Amino acid sequence: MRNILSVPLAAVALFGSAAAYSQETIKIGLVQPLTGSVAYNGQADLNGSKLAVEERNKAGGVLGKKVELVVEDGQCKPANSVNATEKLIQKDKVVALSGAFCSSATAAIMPVAERYKMPLITGVSSKADLTEKGNKYFFRAAETDALLSRAFAKILANDLKLKSVAYVGVNDDWGRGGVEEFSNDLSAAGVKTAAKEYFDHGVTDFYTLLTKVRASGADAIFVAAETQDGSILVKQIKELGLKMRVFGVGSWATPDFIKLAGPAAEGIYAAVPYVSTYESPRNVEFVKNYTAAYKEPPGKYGNAGYNALNIMMDAIARAGSTDSEKIREALHKTDYNAPNGNYKFTDKGQAYGFSLVLVQIKDQSPKVVASTSVDAPK
Amino acid sequence: MDLFLQFLVNGLVTGSFYALSALGLTLIFGLMRVVNFAHGEMYMLGGILGWFVTARLGLDFFSGLVAVAVIMATFGWLVDRVLIERVRDQGEEPGILLTIGLSIFLANTALLLVGTAPQKIEGPVGNQLVMLGPIVTTELRLFAVATCALLILAAHLVVRKTKLGSAMRATFQDPMAARLAGIKIERVYASTFALGCTLAALAGMLLGSIYSAQVSIGGLISLKAFVVVILGGMGSFAGAILGGLILGVAESMWGGYVSTGLVDIVGFSIVIATLLFKPYGLFSTRSERA
Repeated sequence: MRNILSVPLAAVALFGSAAAYSQETIKIGLVQPLTGSVAYNGQADLNGSKLAVEERNKAGGVLGKKVELVVEDGQCKPANSVNATEKLIQKDKVVALSGAFCSSATAAIMPVAERYKMPLITGVSSKADLTEKGNKYFFRAAETDALLSRAFAKILANDLKLKSVAYVGVNDDWGRGGVEEFSNDLSAAGVKTAAKEYFDHGVTDFYTLLTKVRASGADAIFVAAETQDGSILVKQIKELGLKMRVFGVGSWATPDFIKLAGPAAEGIYAAVPYVSTYESPRNVEFVKNYTAAYKEPPGKYGNAGYNALNIMMDAIARAGSTDSEKIREALHKTDYNAPNGNYKFTDKGQAYGFSLVLVQIKDQSPKVVASTSVDAPK
Repeated sequence: MDLFLQFLVNGLVTGSFYALSALGLTLIFGLMRVVNFAHGEMYMLGGILGWFVTARLGLDFFSGLVAVAVIMATFGWLVDRVLIERVRDQGEEPGILLTIGLSIFLANTALLLVGTAPQKIEGPVGNQLVMLGPIVTTELRLFAVATCALLILAAHLVVRKTKLGSAMRATFQDPMAARLAGIKIERVYASTFALGCTLAALAGMLLGSIYSAQVSIGGLISLKAFVVVILGGMGSFAGAILGGLILGVAESMWGGYVSTGLVDIVGFSIVIATLLFKPYGLFSTRSERA
């Protein structure tokens, strides 16, 4: 037994110390919710991230080294995400970070990244004030609720001819933010606000909430919810026989959402930053590779993870080193051709230039109704 | 007024679901003095197994329900014989720690095997609207409420009218005397735990057909079940039913007239108020608590 063990030990002794050995790969840390009520979407982000890393490694890696993705479960909780981030930085010695999905969790890990001068990118967290905190190591390759809502308010008011809308959101900063932004922009476009209601993550019964919505007399209902909560909510809207147009933000146009909601998903609108049926050569290729790897087409979060990791790896390659200041500067020069358009960053680290689409679910598949691109925020 | 009636019916429907979800917990606590923190995970396993046997193995809903009952009764029996047996008569803390550990183990094993995606269980009846005057509900919900009532009644009859039920109650009152009277109390404990697990699992499958079956639901179910049991009185059937209905209606009214975003505050307020003013619950089965 001792002899067998001594072979790899001798190899390490021959080729250098264990520390030098770990320099063989470039490590990027990923914090996502892999358990809990948003685990499903966190897993999709992880899948996209993994695909980006695999593709890059097949093409020779970054700076002549392979990229290694070190994954931690932050559960979308601020405390767990901070622990995960500390572990990634201190124990795993990652050179850059991607995460942490929920805006509240990302807000919690941002000061940690800043303390260790660690470039941090999120492909998901959309709460507006994240890029307003003056954290120069933070980059957001995602739309904010404000950008999304501004881009869509006109389309919704003019094309769908909405008169009065009831707003329903999940009871966290993202859901509340979405409801506020959309109700403001739609009011400005002349649409009345009939009601605003919130529900907690993981709630399964929406009858009370929907009873209030029905009593409000709205002709459309806006929903800010993720797959699990959203699919149950949409089912119950149909069960209660509410004759309203349904549109929403969140992970709505995904195959799983459509499968879970069943016939209730027909006809609903979703304002999304990404849909797998979007037609561009880059997207066709991405969808093909993603589907080959995971047996399902990518959704919003698969694409988000894919983009975040690609942008980060591009920046490391452009920086020519794993020095955090150089990576940070290189991130500002990002001009990344994503499946859903082109990403650039403002001085505050907010991405712009990429496309957003309004889809309607017909025959169990999201059809693009309109598309618009994100302008640089003022 | 119509709105009030609709809120009331919504509350009664969710309340009867809460009652059924809490029944297994109150049974196990009342008869065995085991605080089962893995209760929500038994509910979750019921939902996931229900999805597996109907969607994957192609059983119809009722055969699926029977299959889930058999599997979970066996599982509950084994958990008692293999795990809980070892900490019996050592006070409540080892049992609490054991079931907390079990809940983490079950949730993560299920996560590993099934994944995070919610699963759909096809219900036995369609989801057609039912209009009762101004009140709207669905066939599936009415069916589920009826099934809840049947299951609660059946569990009540098992405990009150059968020989096994008498043995359970005898063991609960005085294990030593029960053993002297020739009752095999190990079997009684195991069947009680099996019955509790089965009830939780059946609730999981039944409600999975209305909502969806998901691996991460356990914690939420345990939370609500504890509220119901504390309100109703540990170990009391009538308490679980009334506690469930009160919680359901209170949540619905609070959501309807105050705020849907702060609904969970209702359950916690009920727990605090119960512990302050009626610490043994509405229907306690014994006057002092261990």
